[in-house]
Amino acid sequence: MFPELNSILSSSPDSFRSGDFIVLSDRQADASFLIHHYLSFYLRAGCKVCFLGLVQSFSHYSAVSQRLGVSLTQAREKGQLVFLEGLKDSIGVLSQEESSQSKLPLSYLRSPGAGLECLFKFVESSVSQNTENEDGEKWGPPVLLIDDLSVLLTLGVSAGAILDFTLYCQATICSELQGNIGILVRREEEDVEDEGSNLLQKGLIHQCSLALHVEGLPTGYCRDIHGQMEVWWRSREDAMYNQRKVFHYKVHDKGASFFARGTSSALL
Amino acid sequence: MLLNIVHGTESGGFIVVEDTVKYSGREILKCFINAALKRGEDVHVLGFETSEAELRAGLDSSCVQKIHFHKGHPDPLGWTCKSSVTVHQFTTRDITQLVQNVPHTKASVLIVDSLSFVLRHHQPVVICQRLQELKKVGVVKTIVGLLHSDLHLQGVVKSVCHLANAVISVAPANNEHCGMAKTTRRTKSGKLMQEEEYFDVSEDAALSVQTRTHQPGHVQIEPDKPKADPTSNLTFNLRLSKKEKEAKEKVALPFVFSQEKKSALLRPTPGSGRITYEPDAYDDLDEEDPDDDLDV
Repeated sequence: MFPELNSILSSSPDSFRSGDFIVLSDRQADASFLIHHYLSFYLRAGCKVCFLGLVQSFSHYSAVSQRLGVSLTQAREKGQLVFLEGLKDSIGVLSQEESSQSKLPLSYLRSPGAGLECLFKFVESSVSQNTENEDGEKWGPPVLLIDDLSVLLTLGVSAGAILDFTLYCQATICSELQGNIGILVRREEEDVEDEGSNLLQKGLIHQCSLALHVEGLPTGYCRDIHGQMEVWWRSREDAMYNQRKVFHYKVHDKGASFFARGTSSALL
Repeated sequence: MLLNIVHGTESGGFIVVEDTVKYSGREILKCFINAALKRGEDVHVLGFETSEAELRAGLDSSCVQKIHFHKGHPDPLGWTCKSSVTVHQFTTRDITQLVQNVPHTKASVLIVDSLSFVLRHHQPVVICQRLQELKKVGVVKTIVGLLHSDLHLQGVVKSVCHLANAVISVAPANNEHCGMAKTTRRTKSGKLMQEEEYFDVSEDAALSVQTRTHQPGHVQIEPDKPKADPTSNLTFNLRLSKKEKEAKEKVALPFVFSQEKKSALLRPTPGSGRITYEPDAYDDLDEEDPDDDLDV
């Protein structure tokens, strides 16, 4: 969890807006540090988190979260964290017989044209089960985090099907259960011409209430500033509605620091 | 023109509200609902993308019975069997049935949120046909659809807008508090009218249009503040007296050539260096003056 980002977004684990749909995107940079931020943020806030880790193993997130002061293993044991390990489970789905696979969350690997209904059902059941911890208290509002959604495009799922899936997630988690969603979509430079990638990103921004876009500096590589992040407030209820602000950031060992443009500690 | 269309002074038909990620058109949709309720008309809402609560927010609660929300959201595809209407039921017959199931007195308004979602799940050609049929059948007087123009191919957007009697494209204005609407209206005689207006939607879904003359480029919201005189309050003098101004006007600029200056420069002065050139055998000497074509 990055304290500076919390103050930019005016939120903290003790008080954050519910019903938020946050889209993290990047282009020629790596925005995955933001997904680690939100993972530790919501676990610290005591929310029930469903994490779809489609591109890295559980141990990777666990190692990073350890540095941010949160133990994923403990959270998983307590039932606070439901972790779908996409890479590990996909081997099972691909190597087994066809008949038993239609209901599994990763069934899109076998039949990408069929859509993501099963994945949605998995998400829905994860957030509605086990809503209490061992002391009998309720976990906070449910949270869905996805890292990352654009990999589904490369697996053959259409952008329309992915947008349907996020619409359903938003309807269930944000509107009904007053929880939050954080989704990471990535874009390579070669994807500039890619219709699916464009459509997915635009569609998600239409749906979202907050968009964080990470890019490299337009002037090139810099040792002290790793890139720029644009914050776009899109919720009608926000005082900052439809405003966009750009910050510079630097990722380091135990977190990331954010500052206004031109105020990097290397310059001042 | 925007106010006339939203308040229904122009006779119904098919209206498209076109938006992009930069500015959402859903508020205009709410203005349509609000205006229809004030006219006492029945409003049927096919909501696929947003919840009923979100669309109802800010609307006049006294007319709430006149809104018939056909719940597509939260289950527009029938995955969880929670909704009464799915996107697959966007057919002329099903919509006509939905509208006729509700007893109504005045002509109805059909709001589609959003057409983009419907177009994602049906062929554009089929949707255009169905919209045309709905217009002809006449069970609803006005159809208003929200279209996210950056989520479709341009051809699809243009095809759907071609069917419409009016297209309202919204975009952000330079002032963040209001938006800009470009309205295109086609009358029955085929005449096309366009207008750009700045608008603002209040919290209770009331539309207000700012009458501002359209200026290309930046629109100034406040009148120009009188410019401060930069030569005042200085410790040194930047002003010129009358004589100094006259002397300044008289100075001949170095690279502006008058006739006298040109001829003076071109005349060889005594004592200036002369250049003699003796071409050798390999030289290709051109007798013409190379600077002949210069306009000096």
